[in-house]
Amino acid sequence: MTFLAPMQLLWLGLLVPLIALYILKRRRQRRVIGSTLLWEQAVRDMRAERPWKRLLPQVALLLQILAIVAGSVALARPAGAGSVPGGAWIAVVIDASASMAAKHGEGTRFEVAKDAALDLARSLPPGGRMMLVEAGSEGEVLAPLTGDRATLEEAIGRLRVRGGSANLEGAVAVAAERLRESPDGSHVLLFTDASEDGEFALDRDQAPVEVRLTRAEGELDNDAIVDADVRHKAGEGPDRCDVFVRLRRWGRGPRDVFVSASIDGREGVVASRRVTLEPGATQSVVMTADLPPNPDGQAAVVRVAIAGEDGRQDDDLALDDVAVVPSPGARRLPVFLVGTPPRSVQRVFRADRDVELFATSLDALAERDDDEPPLDGLFVYTGDTPVVPPPGDSVVLAPVDDRAFELEVGAETELPRVVTWDEADPRLRFVALGDVTIGRLRPLRGGAGRVLVDTDGGPAMVAVARPDGETTFLGFDPDRSDWPTTSSFVVFFRNLLERARTRRAAGGIPVGALGEPLRVPAPDGEAVEVTTPGGRTLSALSRGGVAIVDVGAEPGVYAVQTEQRTLHALRSLLDASESDLSARATFTRGGEGTEAALSAPREHRESWPYVAGALLLLMLGEAWWATRRRRALEARS
Amino acid sequence: MSSLLDPAFIRRLARLRLLARRRFAGAAGGARRSTRKGQSVEFADFREYVPGDDVRRIDWSAYARLEELVLRLYVAEEDLSVYLLLDTSASLGVGDPPKLETAARLAAALAYIGLSGSERVGVVPFADGMGTPMAPTRGKARIGRVLRFLDELEPSGETNLARAVETFLARRPRPGLVILLSDLLDPGGYERPLDRLVGQRHEPVVFHVLDREEVDPTPGGDFTFVDAERGGTVDVSLDARAIAAYRRRVAAFVEGIQAYCRRRGLSYVPAHGAIDLEEALLAYLRAA
Repeated sequence: MTFLAPMQLLWLGLLVPLIALYILKRRRQRRVIGSTLLWEQAVRDMRAERPWKRLLPQVALLLQILAIVAGSVALARPAGAGSVPGGAWIAVVIDASASMAAKHGEGTRFEVAKDAALDLARSLPPGGRMMLVEAGSEGEVLAPLTGDRATLEEAIGRLRVRGGSANLEGAVAVAAERLRESPDGSHVLLFTDASEDGEFALDRDQAPVEVRLTRAEGELDNDAIVDADVRHKAGEGPDRCDVFVRLRRWGRGPRDVFVSASIDGREGVVASRRVTLEPGATQSVVMTADLPPNPDGQAAVVRVAIAGEDGRQDDDLALDDVAVVPSPGARRLPVFLVGTPPRSVQRVFRADRDVELFATSLDALAERDDDEPPLDGLFVYTGDTPVVPPPGDSVVLAPVDDRAFELEVGAETELPRVVTWDEADPRLRFVALGDVTIGRLRPLRGGAGRVLVDTDGGPAMVAVARPDGETTFLGFDPDRSDWPTTSSFVVFFRNLLERARTRRAAGGIPVGALGEPLRVPAPDGEAVEVTTPGGRTLSALSRGGVAIVDVGAEPGVYAVQTEQRTLHALRSLLDASESDLSARATFTRGGEGTEAALSAPREHRESWPYVAGALLLLMLGEAWWATRRRRALEARS
Repeated sequence: MSSLLDPAFIRRLARLRLLARRRFAGAAGGARRSTRKGQSVEFADFREYVPGDDVRRIDWSAYARLEELVLRLYVAEEDLSVYLLLDTSASLGVGDPPKLETAARLAAALAYIGLSGSERVGVVPFADGMGTPMAPTRGKARIGRVLRFLDELEPSGETNLARAVETFLARRPRPGLVILLSDLLDPGGYERPLDRLVGQRHEPVVFHVLDREEVDPTPGGDFTFVDAERGGTVDVSLDARAIAAYRRRVAAFVEGIQAYCRRRGLSYVPAHGAIDLEEALLAYLRAA
């Protein structure tokens, strides 16, 4: 227990004169009178008139009063474990970056911070309120300002280490904003290991910020995979690949580690190498291995790991000892041509060697059995379109009906002039349409579509995004325009293919940092089940077309099962700044440039209320015993 | 002449006479009616002559009429025994003036009145017991002796009225007027000793001597009161509450004595504070 204003304890010195007043006798004048007989009777009368007897300065009585006062005050928990002033609001911000998963004593830095937050929640003084913010890539409020301990404990239980760096400034800003117009003594409490590069300005007008640093215990020792990639080895067979790994060591002295590569989901190691890592130096390793696809034709996912000579890796951070990388086979993109696409489009697709073209029709697709695995690739519809868009990505060229999926197709116009296009859209990256002449256009309209290219005759290109994919609509036939004669035409379709390839290589789930929740596209109300690399099974219901599954930080492949298909997500740290566990960040207060207060986290132990309670019971028992003994003596006499 | 009595006061005292509510048998002829028939000018009764009677008191006129020897009887006028029981305990030494001085002046005045009326006056000092008394004496000329005796008295010792009375009665004094001059602040009480005096055919008269501060203390101050006789102490802060409580106690004490005297038919004369001796004596004489 600490005191927020220890100098105020000097007031206890008033006890000395106070007790002296009780002990010292009043200075009386002696006077001889004839007889004290009548005065004795008068004094007895006065005492008899009082409802209480005279308070005698007894040491035992004084001790009992002090003990009861001290015990009662202790049980009232006046200072909230000495860190939260009564009635104050505190916003606890916890750094959820990957480095917080580093070892710290028996647990991790993150567990130390969580315990400290838990102690604060349990020791909130009367009127005190607390909020909890998780500082991941963004500041997320897990618990709003509340004095309810159960709510805070539940929120603290939901804290997870997220991959990548923490947006400390943003999280503190979110917390400080909530403390606007808060009582005196309110402040933001940031628990971090400062394992970030750079300077963080914590100057907030709304509330002061206190930083509590979870410092590393002992010598830092961490070996990390900071980068990994798999490339096809040209001229040595379709499955022959090079596995590139970059390793770095933080610690004292060199260390021998084994780097191994395996195919996720299969037994055995496909390549291994012993490497001596020097502190502070980055070591590159290249291993060659055959990475055939699985019997279903799915490309292999390479799992790279480092371990010590005994096969175990016992450095300070485990998150960066494993990484998963898709093999080049995952880059192969099936493209299903429904109808006859324009020749210019076919030429672009054939020019991409990682594209596999399949010609099909709407009827053929409709005749597929339901128990057949869904087709996973890019669908290109020319002219006719089905009623319901397929899962995944698709392209619609020159629709002929009045409706294509959710869009309305307008009347044909001739020679519309391109007015504007969305240069920020990744599909139109490095694409210029100013000189393009379109022969005939059927404009595309609909609330769900986002216009990418607009003409004076109406929208010529529209994109519709769905949780499980996206569709790009072109309201004209490229072969009836001069666009294919320009390089921007090829760039546009290569952008489309790369976008679809990336989504597919990532398992159909948007790419995210390690520890961030998986956003699984699925129809509303559908249950999604996720199996983590460690074998844990998590589930969530889809809402708004997305099921969000909070998986925590665990590098590897996450198997996702929806009712219709099986997806997977790859998560690796591969962040040298997070693998460097040393405290490097500096915290400043705005323009003053002074470093904010740093302090080691204080661990609160609430054993003193029980001690105080025992003291109180003891003193009450002592008082009861003393009076009982006196009563017994009086009865005997 | 002693300082106890000044000449003007003595002249006024000469006109007064001690009164007793009862008649007592005297030791010698005096100015007071005796319970016995005696020789005086006041006719009382007749009785038959018996040999040995004084033939001068035979009523010869009655013999002429009745032919029987009848003796004329007259009221006997004998002296009255007056005992001045004077409290000389240490508590009488307290006060302004000291209570013993007030008591002694009262005793001197009463003695003078008594001696002027041909009474036998004795002085019996007492404290925790009876002191050396002054033997009863007669005649106005003896007043000087009484005054000297009173002048020599000093306050000391505790009060024990009961023991003093018992010692006094053990000497089998002739029944008479027992004038008690005391503050009556005796833990043993006053009722039993006075009852004993009444039982022995004495007529007690109570002169209650108290100091002004004992009746009406001055407010203010923190005191440790020390008992002049027993040495005990009481811590008192003289605030309004304490003084009120004390006054109630004093009033109850005085009223208790007065009620007792009324029940026994005794005279009670308060002598509280600096009193006017003549007024006090007249109050007594009026009450008697």
